[in-house]
Amino acid sequence: MKVLLVEDEKELLQSMVAFLKESGMVCEQATDLSSALEKIDLYDYDCIVLDIGLPDGNGLKLIEEMQKKEHKTGIVIVSARNSLDDRLTGLNIGADDYITKPFYMPELTARIKSVVRRRTFEGKREITYHELRVLPDEMVMYVNDKMISLTKKEHELLMYLLSNSNKVLTKESIAEHLWGDHADMADSFDFIYSHIKNLRKKITDHGGKDYLKSVYGVGYKFSGE
Amino acid sequence: MKLLNLTNRYYIVIALFLLLISVSFLTYRVIYLMDREISDHMRYEKMQIEKQIALQPGIQDLHIILGDRIQIDPIPKFTTFKVILRDTTVLLSEGGKILKVPYRILSYEQLISNKSYRITLWRRLTENRDLGNGLVTTIILVTLDIIACFYFLNRWFSSKVWRPFYRAINVLKKFDLQKGGRVLFQRSNVEEFNTLNAELTKLTDKVTRDYRNLREFTENMSHETQTPLAIIRSKLELLLQSENLTEDQINHIRSTLDSVNRLSKMNKSLILLTRIENEQYATEDLVPMGQLVKKQLESLDVFIESKQLQVSTHIDDDMSVRMNLHLAEILLTNLFSNAIKYCTRGGELNIMLTTQRLVVSNSGPPLTIPGDQIFERFKKGDSPDSVGLGLAIVKKIGGHCNLQLQYDYINGMHCFYVEFRPERVVVRTV
Repeated sequence: MKVLLVEDEKELLQSMVAFLKESGMVCEQATDLSSALEKIDLYDYDCIVLDIGLPDGNGLKLIEEMQKKEHKTGIVIVSARNSLDDRLTGLNIGADDYITKPFYMPELTARIKSVVRRRTFEGKREITYHELRVLPDEMVMYVNDKMISLTKKEHELLMYLLSNSNKVLTKESIAEHLWGDHADMADSFDFIYSHIKNLRKKITDHGGKDYLKSVYGVGYKFSGE
Repeated sequence: MKLLNLTNRYYIVIALFLLLISVSFLTYRVIYLMDREISDHMRYEKMQIEKQIALQPGIQDLHIILGDRIQIDPIPKFTTFKVILRDTTVLLSEGGKILKVPYRILSYEQLISNKSYRITLWRRLTENRDLGNGLVTTIILVTLDIIACFYFLNRWFSSKVWRPFYRAINVLKKFDLQKGGRVLFQRSNVEEFNTLNAELTKLTDKVTRDYRNLREFTENMSHETQTPLAIIRSKLELLLQSENLTEDQINHIRSTLDSVNRLSKMNKSLILLTRIENEQYATEDLVPMGQLVKKQLESLDVFIESKQLQVSTHIDDDMSVRMNLHLAEILLTNLFSNAIKYCTRGGELNIMLTTQRLVVSNSGPPLTIPGDQIFERFKKGDSPDSVGLGLAIVKKIGGHCNLQLQYDYINGMHCFYVEFRPERVVVRTV
């Protein structure tokens, strides 16, 4: 998966590159609008992560440029301003998703993967992980081809974990992914725990391996190692 | 007390005091002068009588009583040269009634042709009393009249003189810091008022400027902090992915991440607050409150269930409120999540929506902070996790959308009231 990261903050860009690379993505970088425009002219990307506040112009211009040509590129806008207008304009002119700084890296990864899935396979593509198979839009998973129904939250959680396999995911990032603005409600960590427990049970009960690992004090990790 | 009343009150007190003094003095003087005049006159009469007796010998024996004024009585023996002048009361029967009439008497003894006589002059005093009383009454009436005239004149003058002052007050009343704008005062002929107005203009300009700067600063600060926060968070997350971290290291990373999270939440809330202040949610929608309440409650379902709260709702489905939809959502979410968060496990959560108000109440122990501070920024009682801005946002939205907010603690329940203005409520009629 080839991703173009457009971000003027070099430190943040570095982190993003490092994190996404570990998730198996090929990353290219641009720190301003002109070099980003140059890059999209020359190469095709599966996804562009775009900071709209760039030193030499508004990132939305890049989306307009993209719209001029046939493309299958997913676009995720990154903004320091959680403004409704920005979000709506961005999504209206062709962006696929919108994420506000400061975001969690696993969240960005999950968003990119989801956007690319939607763009490339119109949401049909299933995700497989060893004996597990999950469809993005159906509340079920298959363990060794046995269908197991999932609750909405379990499904969201599993997708999030699968998008970030082999990564340590903090409880906070999981909570924010599952509940958004309500993430800081009391008990949200207990919920994650019970969802994880249920999910683990559903997988192991049907002969799957226990991939869900607790990382002491921090969160969880989905890992086959 | 109003300025005009105050000056008038002083004026009246002083005027009445002066009136009292001057009237008493006048009365005293008038009575004294009249009294002296009568006595002088009676002495003059005495002289006249003496002259007449000398001119017409034998007149003393005529025993004529001239009216009730002069009486000449023979007495056996001459005793004194003393002239007695005194006041007395005489009982007179006038028209069947017996009246006490005050008289002044001048009486002396005289030897006429070697015989002793007592001569007494009588003078009725009622006329003089009446005159004196009339005079004093007139003086009082005239003075009262003058005081009243001055009172109204003073009122009129004062209100004329102070008019620019009241105009300035009205201008200031209309001044709204959040809306900004300059205050404009009318010029007046009074230098002091013009100085006052000029100083007020300067002051409000400065306040407006400072307020705007502060707002800009908060907004910029919050926005500019987001990127460094994103960097810190990303680095920590990367660090967390490294192999072979010791437990200590993980704990350090964790607590740093926690702080970053809190900072970031605080930032988001502050941004929202400044945005509301900056009128970025000025558009108004017709918000179907009942539906919205249900929707927002649903999204918090999990948390309600997990705390095993007894929820009871009473929702009027036919009413809508004219306000910004986004703000309405935030208002409800913040109120509800606040109620859920601080509700005791297994406690009660009541939501009542009528055309007049929304009441959200939850059971819980009393606050550790005074109830009237609950809507203030960074007041959060005993909860270290919370940022303390949720209810501040509620208050800000309330102020922005003309909703009256109230908090009360009744029978172990924390109650939050949101009163809707009748003109903003639209009730659907079936």
